[in-house]
Amino acid sequence: MSGCGAVVGGVSLDNVDISTQAVIQGIVSKDGQPASVGYVRLHDKSDEFVAEVPISKQGEFRFFTVAGDWNVVTLIPGGNSRIVAHAELGKILDLEIAVS
Amino acid sequence: MSNQALVDAEWALSHLDDAKVVFIEVDEDTEAYAGNHIRNAIALNWKTDLQDPIRRDFVNKEQFEALLSAKGVSNDDIVVLYGGNNNWFAAYAYWYFKLYGHGDVRLLDGGRKKWELDGRELVSEVPSRAATKYVAKDQDRSIRAFREDVLKAIGTQNLVDVRSPDEYAGRLLAPAHLPQEAARIGGHIPTAANIPWSKAANEDGSFKSIDELKALYESAGVDLKKDTIAYCRIGERSAHSWFVLHELLGVKNVSNYDGSWTEYGSLVGVPVAIGDEPGTA
Repeated sequence: MSGCGAVVGGVSLDNVDISTQAVIQGIVSKDGQPASVGYVRLHDKSDEFVAEVPISKQGEFRFFTVAGDWNVVTLIPGGNSRIVAHAELGKILDLEIAVS
Repeated sequence: MSNQALVDAEWALSHLDDAKVVFIEVDEDTEAYAGNHIRNAIALNWKTDLQDPIRRDFVNKEQFEALLSAKGVSNDDIVVLYGGNNNWFAAYAYWYFKLYGHGDVRLLDGGRKKWELDGRELVSEVPSRAATKYVAKDQDRSIRAFREDVLKAIGTQNLVDVRSPDEYAGRLLAPAHLPQEAARIGGHIPTAANIPWSKAANEDGSFKSIDELKALYESAGVDLKKDTIAYCRIGERSAHSWFVLHELLGVKNVSNYDGSWTEYGSLVGVPVAIGDEPGTA
């Protein structure tokens, strides 16, 4: 069983049937380089927190969720960002998040 | 926030070299510690160290004693736990230490996330601690609930479902960053209030103020004079809520149902509610 907790972005999609999931993933960057320390939070459309993952050393993150609009909140030392993402069932949404 | 169960970064910094204070990182990302960690901290793996390798259960008293003895933790040490994601798994480990009667255990407010976001030092050196002979107490059943307790509580005592609203309603079976696995069906235990665990934490992972935490439960209509059982999917997020209620707010008779939705949502013949409302007994 996987924990309730966060899995660093980039987790393998082997053996995962994404036809029943909406995947939001991406890379966080600062000053044109992948951020190596930080967290990405997923909030629902009412801005209720749903999940949080630490980004990988390469700035990657991933969420498995349901279709709909989501707020993706990024926190890194000295900066943060917030964007709206539209996830669709059976599809992988790739984001590039630049934090200033 | 001033509370015996919490320490802040300044307190931590002044005790990093104190031999009687053991910092322990417990993370959902079990590889985080290997990358770096707070100086002199050791690590516990929430799965391989704290769960029975065969049955779905915790390590028992003897296993817990062997674990802490090997890690070099003594009964009279002050144990300071910290981890990522708002101290989610650190709170889970805190509950274990309380379950087995450790004398002085605390959480680092904000955990690894706040420490990292504040740009504080993390190191890769792993400390060595001499083995001890740790002696655990019998499990404190007053802080652990089983399915029979939950069934009796429907409609009579407080049930607090601390998962996200979509999990509560049955639209998701697991947190949104994980493949949707686990329980056979979605939904929640009838009459349970939905108070997501994350509402107790600020964005940097630190706990909200006592007044804010009290308001969080009161506004959801939870009568804290009654017994309370918290649950989530596998008992980790609800350990965080248990910490808030029992350790920060000082509410008695609060227990954590570690079987949680993965057990309840797979039981035959029990009542289940779906949707955003608590439902009826």
